[in-house]
Amino acid sequence: MKRRRVLAGLAGAAASAAGCGAPGRGGGGRPGDPVVLTLLSHYATDPLKSALQRVVDEWNAAHDRVHVRTTAVRFQDLLTTLMVRQAAGQGADIIHPYSLWAGQLAQAGVVRPAPSGDAARIERGFARPAVRAASVRGRPLGYPTEVQSYALYYNKRLLRAAGLAGPPRTWRELEETAYRTARRDRHGNTLVQGFGLSRTDDSTVVNQTLALLASRGGSFLHPDGTHSALDSPAGRAVFALERRLIDRGASDPGIDLMKAFPAGRVAMAVSGAWWTGSLKQTMGRDYRDVGVAPVPGPAPGNRGTVTTGFLLGVNAKSGHQREAWEFLRWLNDEVVPAGPGAGRAAAVRATRMSVLQMSVGTMTGRTGDMRALLAAGGDQNLGPFVDALDYATPEPNGPRAQKAKALLRKNIEEMWTGRHPPDAAVRNAVRQIDQELSR
Amino acid sequence: MGRAGGRGRGVRAAGERARPAARRARHRCRQTAVAYLFLAPSLAFFAVFLLLPLLFAVLLSLSRWAGFDLADIRPAGVDNFAALFARGSSFLTPVLTNTLLYALGTVALALTGAVLVAHCITRLRFQGFWRTLYFLPIVTTVVAVGNVWKYMYEPGGLVNGVLNALGLRSVAFLQDPATALPSVVVVQAWASLGSAILILTAGLKAVPHSYYEAAELDGAGPFTVFTRITLPLLRPSLLFVCVTQFITGLQSFALIIVMTGEGGPGDATNVAALEMYQRAFKYGDWGSASAAALVLFVLVLVITLAQLWLFRRKGADG
Repeated sequence: MKRRRVLAGLAGAAASAAGCGAPGRGGGGRPGDPVVLTLLSHYATDPLKSALQRVVDEWNAAHDRVHVRTTAVRFQDLLTTLMVRQAAGQGADIIHPYSLWAGQLAQAGVVRPAPSGDAARIERGFARPAVRAASVRGRPLGYPTEVQSYALYYNKRLLRAAGLAGPPRTWRELEETAYRTARRDRHGNTLVQGFGLSRTDDSTVVNQTLALLASRGGSFLHPDGTHSALDSPAGRAVFALERRLIDRGASDPGIDLMKAFPAGRVAMAVSGAWWTGSLKQTMGRDYRDVGVAPVPGPAPGNRGTVTTGFLLGVNAKSGHQREAWEFLRWLNDEVVPAGPGAGRAAAVRATRMSVLQMSVGTMTGRTGDMRALLAAGGDQNLGPFVDALDYATPEPNGPRAQKAKALLRKNIEEMWTGRHPPDAAVRNAVRQIDQELSR
Repeated sequence: MGRAGGRGRGVRAAGERARPAARRARHRCRQTAVAYLFLAPSLAFFAVFLLLPLLFAVLLSLSRWAGFDLADIRPAGVDNFAALFARGSSFLTPVLTNTLLYALGTVALALTGAVLVAHCITRLRFQGFWRTLYFLPIVTTVVAVGNVWKYMYEPGGLVNGVLNALGLRSVAFLQDPATALPSVVVVQAWASLGSAILILTAGLKAVPHSYYEAAELDGAGPFTVFTRITLPLLRPSLLFVCVTQFITGLQSFALIIVMTGEGGPGDATNVAALEMYQRAFKYGDWGSASAAALVLFVLVLVITLAQLWLFRRKGADG
């Protein structure tokens, strides 16, 4: 104990000198001034930024006592910003982390479980995978906001051009469709990828592999999260499928999927619900060529996919816990009419967050809200994603989940580039991930 | 009495001798105190911004810390170092080997290129213009340089366009683990060419012209002049460029982040500084990040000392 106190003292002196103050929040302001809550999210660009600001403005207009101020960074910088600001004592009152980081943040004491009233509301109001994604050791840390399930996007025009009537329903059909739609020029440059594999980011590398794995009945980690379950027939089959697609020229991980699909150069790709909004914006009229289907399984009707998400939680160091949870309840739990901005769905009643997410082409884990908004004129391509919430498996979110995901990504890339055969890559990934999880 | 008086005189004399000595000592003491007083601001600066962070890094390397709350620092002994070099860990290979190859490749290419270009520039008109031209990448941000080269390397990019025009197949420069690291090394070398040229040009200008005249009278050819006069006299500049470029090469990762993201494909372009950054800021593992930082510090120190020793030995022999 004494040793720890000495360590902390030394560290304190050194860290203060190095510019890191202990986290904490000053009260500030004059008596009677409103409490200002800061909210850090990755909604840094439109349409997400404006959509969030609209509801925050609505809150600020209706509440004199508590005001909310939003700050946003790119998703790629969110975890780093969160950690650095927290270490410097500048953490936001309300944080909006990716659910993958929930275990890491809970272990570090950045977020605590939601108060019992809010926890009950979360467990009652959201689909099971969304609640599990936002929970650590069975206790929700915050309100699940943006929920992503993974499904198969396909370009109807490219499939028609290859003489195919509809999207594949099985792995065998997926592979055949990929080979039939892929095209290259005489120099070997890819003109059309049959099935998009891409190194763009973690979600394009790992989540599509995990979705395919789930569709085959496999999983990434054992339920207790202590070791990997990848070394299974399903795991080996997914790695082998991806390798075959690359070897036979149907996939080209060198191409940026996020640019190639909207440009009509990818026939099929597995991605999250958020992409519908982005594709609609970039593709314009060509978006009518985009279709979405469940991730194919080994046989028609076999279903399985992965789900990820974000959660809105309160910083454990915030001096305004009660006010912050009050705002989150108002945003995530109060049912209101969707309003004139929702077009044909104006009369539908849903939570503010559900309306916000649907307005930007993505969704919350409230399946009731989603189905009502979809039925009243939402993008029908979101339908398979909402359906998937009934059977999707949440992405594991233990304390070392981000590192385990990075190790999986590296091994998938080693396999894609031919450095390791699929089976060896699976074994290597399992060894490294197990070693990391045992630390 | 006489003896006593004599002793008294002797003591007095000794006292008189001692007084200036004591005065001198006091004066020296005062001078030292004043010197330290003048040095105090810079010493305090070094202590606060160099020594304390260094001690903090050493402390963290022997602890576990998620990076949030100082009270959560837990002692871990040498576990972090053991984990770095455990069987199956990627830190030694490929991360450290990539770091060395990256630094070595950058120094070799930049130094060779810089010597040749600087040698040519000193023989051209408008030397200032050429120096500015080669210095331009230095004042360009790494993000811009990395992105431009990334597009050039892409399957439909300029480099592959040239290969295709020559009837060759496209190369996936940044996607193939065999070509990814060399491709980034070329860009890093290109980007650091400017400063090396600037220093070497100054070094070349300092070589007395009389040596070249004497060599010409002796009938030495251009190659002999270059290897026997230019290169040996350029040694101090070469040493400076070599040491600074090597240190930069061992520590840099910005270009890698821009061009290959997280050091991919796989770990093909992952280097120690990037690994350290990821461990600390992404995975919240400050203990192992600090351990990696100390290993890199030792590596930089050993390589720098080896370079100094090598150049000095060459200097003595030469």
